[in-house]
Amino acid sequence: MATVFKQQKSKQDKAEGVVAHTSEEKVFKNKQRVLLLSSRGINSRHRHLLTDLENLLPHGKKDAKLDSKSKLYIINELADLNNCNNCVFFEVRKRQDLYMWISKTPNGPSMKFHIQNIHTMEELKMTGNCLKGSRHILSFDKNFESSPHWQLMKELFTQVFGIPKTSRRIKPFIDHVISFSIVDNRVWFRNYQITEKPLEHRSATDTTDLTLVEIGPRFVMNPIRTFDGSFGGQTAFENPEFVSPNVARSNIKNAKAGRYKSRMDAIAQKDERLKEAEMPEDPLEEKNVFA
Amino acid sequence: MSDSESEQEQRLTLEDLEGSDTEMLSNDEDGPIDILTEQRVTINNEPALKRLREQIALPTNIPWSETQSVTSTQAVSVADPDDDLNREVAFYNQALEAAVLGRERIRKEGGVFERPGDYFAEMIKSDEHMAKIRQRLLDENASIQASERAKAQRDLKKFGKKVQTEKRLEREKSKAAALDKITSLKKKRQGNDNTANADDEFDVALASDDEQRGSGGAKNGNNKRSASSTPGSRSKRLKKDQKFGFGGKKRNAKSNTAESSADMSGFNVKRNKSTSFKSGGHKAARTAAGGAKKRPGKARRQNAGGRK
Repeated sequence: MATVFKQQKSKQDKAEGVVAHTSEEKVFKNKQRVLLLSSRGINSRHRHLLTDLENLLPHGKKDAKLDSKSKLYIINELADLNNCNNCVFFEVRKRQDLYMWISKTPNGPSMKFHIQNIHTMEELKMTGNCLKGSRHILSFDKNFESSPHWQLMKELFTQVFGIPKTSRRIKPFIDHVISFSIVDNRVWFRNYQITEKPLEHRSATDTTDLTLVEIGPRFVMNPIRTFDGSFGGQTAFENPEFVSPNVARSNIKNAKAGRYKSRMDAIAQKDERLKEAEMPEDPLEEKNVFA
Repeated sequence: MSDSESEQEQRLTLEDLEGSDTEMLSNDEDGPIDILTEQRVTINNEPALKRLREQIALPTNIPWSETQSVTSTQAVSVADPDDDLNREVAFYNQALEAAVLGRERIRKEGGVFERPGDYFAEMIKSDEHMAKIRQRLLDENASIQASERAKAQRDLKKFGKKVQTEKRLEREKSKAAALDKITSLKKKRQGNDNTANADDEFDVALASDDEQRGSGGAKNGNNKRSASSTPGSRSKRLKKDQKFGFGGKKRNAKSNTAESSADMSGFNVKRNKSTSFKSGGHKAARTAAGGAKKRPGKARRQNAGGRK
């Protein structure tokens, strides 16, 4: 009976937050585990991004593709089964639009982003490299302090993307930094390797011996909504500037269709003008005078 | 930024007053057109966001190394997000600042930052992948160098052309000067003739002069040729020209023309009939005509060879 009680209690603790209480004294343990999974219909680029994230986050657990896009609340149960208290879920629509959910399971909050401009680690342009499982430094833009929803986002990112000290499979050194910056009301994700330049290779103007080389992946997160539950609940924030990719695509299409439409309009206008320009019959015209 | 903030505040107050999210935003001062365009309700429930943050926030008194999170001292501001270079530089600087600060804090807390040189472990990108990256860098460098070399070559060529044109111009100039000299000489002569004799003599003289010049030129050309080839050495060439022809159109020489295809001289009715495509008839015709004997089969040939 006691073990059942213990289990329940620990479960409750996990659900409440990240603080694990041991006996009377409160010893803080940052316990985070992240469930990584995607919906069906994912394409290769998105899949590579997901594996990149999995490689970057040793406290992550990748799960199989989720069949349903409507009943997202079952992810909470999945996370529980995997002992995860965070979740990153890739929802792919139309095999091209990637939405990323970041959620604190099971009680929330959760955020939904539209992911754009994805470059994965597979690409050959980013030349950096780092240890697999080394803990990174998280770098946040100062803009994250500017308003409550950015603050909440920062807290969420710290817990999801920050690797806890107690995580398994971590390595003891720090050789990369992940940065989140806010430009254009979007969050830009970058991952850099930290390299130390020896003194003899530095110029006189170089004050710091650290240089960064980008590792990848890079992507842009456009926030859509913040919910107060995990994968649901009331909306606490909605991005007024967000334009659904479907709308954007249809706008482009309409703009292209506009060429034909404007041409037809111009023809119609011309006809009208010609009709208006017809002169009334002149009483002094030749046929009127001599008929 | 301040503008949008005030807008958000206004929206928030509206929502607070009405207490529902589904209500259409009614900006009275904006008029009916704006109401039509702004049908979307924007939600920014700041108290709820704050509460949510407090709900999940990590305690503040934990050591920094638990989260390793750094907030930049300067906000990233990029005027044009499409300007790749400036944007990336801003991100780089932000990350670099975090790296420097992070190293300081880790050292302060007694942690290890840099990896020792003899620590080998699995990397995030495999060795094959890194080899590919290196190869790509090398290829890029090579292509840059090649294009630079090509550019230099092009420049050289352009310069060479300039020299050529200069030479040509000089030659033309010298030619013109020579002609001028001749005409002036002629004029002088003309003046002399006019004073001395009748003009018919001058014409002859001029003609002879012209002839001489022309023939001289031709002679010069001939001389040049004869220097390299004598009639004796050209005899072979001449023979060849006689045999194979010289000049003229070489294309389509072997293709049919209307005449060649109408030409029936090579046609023999008897022969044509004798070689029909019917196999039996063909064989019979052959044997009847006493044509070449058919090659025996392989076994027979080998046997014959064995007997020898």
